[in-house]
Amino acid sequence: MPNAIEFLLRAQNPDGGWGYRLGGMSYVEPTAAVLLALSDSAARACGRDFLLALQHADGGWGIAAPDSESGWMTAWAVRALADFSEARAAVARGVEWLLATEGQRITDPAARQTIHTLFRIDATLGAWPWQPGDAAWVHPTALALLALAATGARDHARVRDGVAYLYDRACPDGGWNIGNPWMLDKKIPATIQDTAIALLALRAVGVTEDEGRMTKALRYLRDAIAQAQTSAELAWGIWALEDWGLGIGDSLTRLNALQRADGSWEGNPFLTAIAWTSQKAKRKTQNVKVKPET
Amino acid sequence: MRREEIENQESKIENGLTRRAFLRLALVTGIVAGARVIQQATEPVGFERWFRWMLRGNLARFFAPPARVALAACATYDADVLGAVRAAWRDAALPDVRGARVVLKPNLVDVVEDLPCFTHPRVTQALIHLARELGAREIIVAEGTTFRRDVQAVLDATGYTDLLARERVPFVDLNYDDIVEIPLRGGYTRLKTLFVARTIRDADVLVSLPKMKTHHWTQVSVSVKNLFGIVPGIKYGWPKNTLHIQGIAAFLAELADSLPTRACAVVDGIVGLEGDGPLFGNAVPSGVIVAGNDLLAVDATCARLMGFDPAQIDYLDFGAWAGVGAIDESKIEIVGEALARLRRQFARPPQMG
Repeated sequence: MPNAIEFLLRAQNPDGGWGYRLGGMSYVEPTAAVLLALSDSAARACGRDFLLALQHADGGWGIAAPDSESGWMTAWAVRALADFSEARAAVARGVEWLLATEGQRITDPAARQTIHTLFRIDATLGAWPWQPGDAAWVHPTALALLALAATGARDHARVRDGVAYLYDRACPDGGWNIGNPWMLDKKIPATIQDTAIALLALRAVGVTEDEGRMTKALRYLRDAIAQAQTSAELAWGIWALEDWGLGIGDSLTRLNALQRADGSWEGNPFLTAIAWTSQKAKRKTQNVKVKPET
Repeated sequence: MRREEIENQESKIENGLTRRAFLRLALVTGIVAGARVIQQATEPVGFERWFRWMLRGNLARFFAPPARVALAACATYDADVLGAVRAAWRDAALPDVRGARVVLKPNLVDVVEDLPCFTHPRVTQALIHLARELGAREIIVAEGTTFRRDVQAVLDATGYTDLLARERVPFVDLNYDDIVEIPLRGGYTRLKTLFVARTIRDADVLVSLPKMKTHHWTQVSVSVKNLFGIVPGIKYGWPKNTLHIQGIAAFLAELADSLPTRACAVVDGIVGLEGDGPLFGNAVPSGVIVAGNDLLAVDATCARLMGFDPAQIDYLDFGAWAGVGAIDESKIEIVGEALARLRRQFARPPQMG
């Protein structure tokens, strides 16, 4: 698939960043994702400089140049810049921002009980929000764990908090959604994308398949990806399953069948970067067995 | 001694205070106490802002012409949906879209098997056909889903992928669009500005195209709640909870008050959703299309169609009080079908918290 890379190189904006579509505004997330996928040094240097220029004084990143408030995309920037030795200082400040940022914890016993009744979650667990002041959610928590793992901070207490949060927010079917496993008495189903990123994060911080919950989560993802239809579901699912050393069936064939003639998936640099990265994912652990359902 | 002096002497109370002075003191004390009560009651937002909202609301209630809301009967999605939408659009005097860039914003909140929690594609299709009939220059279907980052999965499962391909209409994922920052006019929340999708800002006409349903946080979810989809998930996350914690009623009023483009609403009430909305409620065949330019008036009318009192619904009550739109029956002119004939009692949503 060399034309995926050609597409990504073509999709770089003059400011050095990438957007979610050709010619679209440059954002931190797609820029970071493309940096993880690309090996071209000139394009990477421009992308790196784009990210460095957008770092805020508080050490975090907004979503794009017009956004002056630091938020969840800080984790993407830290993860991508961790691969650049010349960005060490920026990464350190980004890590500080991440460690200082926490989702709202509900400690009032009555409020905590109400939330537990409604959602069956432990609202005292902090983890990471999309934006400061918000509650914690699965996606930004998983991204923060990935970023901290990449910077050697995987033994930090906040990482353990994040893992506890992800365990708490697992859906009854074993996977993850945005972070609401229940709504009143209704089970909210998991999604492939949220499950994949949670599994990637847990793997990155050292969780192994020996942890019983992982068996259920991996089984969910393996079964769900067999039914997956969209590029995003397939790309994220393949990435996570490959990372955990599990078989992906015909998912790769189905993902490649969705690639466009211009080398992209859906004309989207972010999605193309994820699809490309998913195919580069190495099997770090071979022959992981998903235990049969009991 | 003159009579006046005698009266003054007689009116002296024991400590030497005259009756006139006493009355003055009581009046001043009353004014100060009243001002203190108002100041305390309005402290969370500040007296000046409270007074501005109250004044605007009262001016609207007393002097604004009634909002027009059109009702059109349409028994099923296999019936003449385009005819019903066309009648409602005309009767409600919705905007002239000749030469306009029209953005249709259905509610595609998520997919739950067999539950009608999203705007039916046949209603969106009817709007596409109508916009073409009326001479729109460009038609875009756009949404920023609340619970999933991957909108394609939702488009596939709801039938919108097929619809968009068949009609050759582009879809814009508002969660990932370019962003523009707009000022918030009302000051109802702590937010001073809001990022919205550029596609919304650049539209000539925005049609909020919601499903008529109940909602466990807001009681009803219609044209205003549907606008949560115009704010980008990449900024506010999924499920855009950052905006909920501003206070849902206040934020919805803010959103309706600060839209960067002309908006109107056409509501899919052919089959509504009752009970545990926005996702898990039950289908209610209601057989109605509702349309109007005043989004609050449309939502208030939908509330009445569902058997609820709009004044008991926080965002409607607050929005009307602040002058964002009309909810009083006397301030809404219903045209087309009679409301009483189309009213169905929906089951209330469960109480949260």
